[in-house]
Amino acid sequence: MNVIEVRNLVKKFGDFTAVNNISFDVRKGEIFGFLGANGAGKTTAMRMLCGLSTPTAGEGRVAGYDIWTEAELIKRNIGYMSQRFSLYNDLSVIDNIKFFAGIYGVDKTTMQRRSNELLTRLNLEKERNLMVESLPQGWKQKLAFSIAIFHNPQIVFLDEPTGGVDPETRRQFWEMIYEAANQGITIFVTTHYMDEAEYCNRVSMMVDGRIEALDSPAMLKSRYNASSMSDVFDIIARGETNL
Amino acid sequence: MILKHLLIKEFKQFRVNPFFPKLIFAFPVMIMLIAPLIATMDVKRVNLTIINHDNSTTAEKLIKTIEASEYFVLQSIETSYQKGMEAIDYGTTDLLLQIPEGMERNLNAGNPVELYIATNSVNSTKGSMGSGYLGNIISSFANDLTLSASTIAPPINISVQYLYNPHLNYRLFMVPAMMIVVLILLCGFLPALNIVTEKERGTIEQINVTPVSRLQFIASKLIFYCILGILVFTITFLLGKSIYNIAPYGNIHIIYFAAILFMLFIAGFGLLISNFSSSLQQAIFTMFFFVMIFMLLSGLFTPITSMVPWAQSFTYILPPRYFVNIMRCVCLKGSGLADLWFDFTMLTIIMLITTTIAISTYKKQN
Repeated sequence: MNVIEVRNLVKKFGDFTAVNNISFDVRKGEIFGFLGANGAGKTTAMRMLCGLSTPTAGEGRVAGYDIWTEAELIKRNIGYMSQRFSLYNDLSVIDNIKFFAGIYGVDKTTMQRRSNELLTRLNLEKERNLMVESLPQGWKQKLAFSIAIFHNPQIVFLDEPTGGVDPETRRQFWEMIYEAANQGITIFVTTHYMDEAEYCNRVSMMVDGRIEALDSPAMLKSRYNASSMSDVFDIIARGETNL
Repeated sequence: MILKHLLIKEFKQFRVNPFFPKLIFAFPVMIMLIAPLIATMDVKRVNLTIINHDNSTTAEKLIKTIEASEYFVLQSIETSYQKGMEAIDYGTTDLLLQIPEGMERNLNAGNPVELYIATNSVNSTKGSMGSGYLGNIISSFANDLTLSASTIAPPINISVQYLYNPHLNYRLFMVPAMMIVVLILLCGFLPALNIVTEKERGTIEQINVTPVSRLQFIASKLIFYCILGILVFTITFLLGKSIYNIAPYGNIHIIYFAAILFMLFIAGFGLLISNFSSSLQQAIFTMFFFVMIFMLLSGLFTPITSMVPWAQSFTYILPPRYFVNIMRCVCLKGSGLADLWFDFTMLTIIMLITTTIAISTYKKQN
């Protein structure tokens, strides 16, 4: 079953075409990597799927709802973690959890139980009343991810979630992503770290607004006769520039 | 339910802000304590120079009478007009009074006497008020002379009764205006900064991707700033009562009702500007521009009826105009809802239009 279906999606800003006629499906429960260099159009495409941006043309359904007409229904069924850090810096850890749980309509008893679990898992019990501002970057990212999936969404969109984070924290972050995927949450993640692409079930490679390749990492490597995803990306990106 | 969580969030953010909570106390206190003392149109302590060409007892009496008035400070008594004009040129005096030679002699003979007043009208209010006061003192002095000297019937006397503000206390006029200024600044600027701050920090994106509706989002901010406004308004009221002993003559519920309508308008207007601004600087400058218009054209400081006709017509679309009128009428004259129905209706209509635009121009998707 597909939770995301995209057909011929286009987004133009004036003369500039940020997303150029892309089509793809994302299956339920998979970790879908959305790869590309900076400026390839990953974030723009993701924002259209989340109902933050209106497409110029094309069709799309997310969690069974149309991106043109049912954006607000999509928003009830997804979680989102933006590139820019997106918790309230001037609220405490627990107040951020309460606030986002509250606006997604998580009831009070569930909220209390799950926020305690969350704080224990992230090892943040002592910091529960600290301002989020004072947490180290890596902790903030992990907290932001936990809050993005707190209301048990069908899909969670992660926009470069591991930017500016040390390798150890990145590894822990990916463990959390796997855990969420095991609970049945579909993961849609953009990144420009090619090593992270290896962790995904399937990846798409975006170059200049178009999807140039889409398959599992193993298939892509064998097709391009490359030893790593980084090499695959180099070949695809170079092919593009040589044309 | 969602609204409750949004409101809790606003309160918590406000509480930990290092500056704003202090502001809502410091601001009303500063404005209420200082501004009515400075923004006064009462003309007092006008510097006066007298040129006395008539060294008589009557002239001496006149000078004593003028000196006794609290309005004038007698700078010097000169003997030539030339010297007096020099004092005006140097700015050491505002008003010249020339007593003609032979005044006493002419008065005793029953001949008319002309006194000459010259005024420095760089500040036109001070000039005209000063010469007016001086004229009054002299004519009442002349009356007393006539009465004591003869049995002829006194000339026609005009008696004026000052309604609603019998002592012509300028503070009665200014204090309600200052209360409105506090509301415009706090309930207007803080919302204008609010949404744009969320834009700059990137948290707006996170709200836009949740099921929070535009109405809920804007309503939470309107309600929050309205509660803040009521708190601030009450502080200014208590200050007005305790410092200036100014208590509203009319029904306080009517004042609060008007204040809440006005707070909703000005907060909605601030949010509207915030919606269209992409940076704090932009929001502040835009808001500042409109606040200037609100203050100058609402009748806060200068009467609307004295403005040029096109400016008068323009004031009808400015809600501060109605709120200023309601405040003054209820505070000084004790007017009721029935007297002010037009102001209340207009205030409500413009408030509803503004908040509706604030909600509809807030875009969750672009």
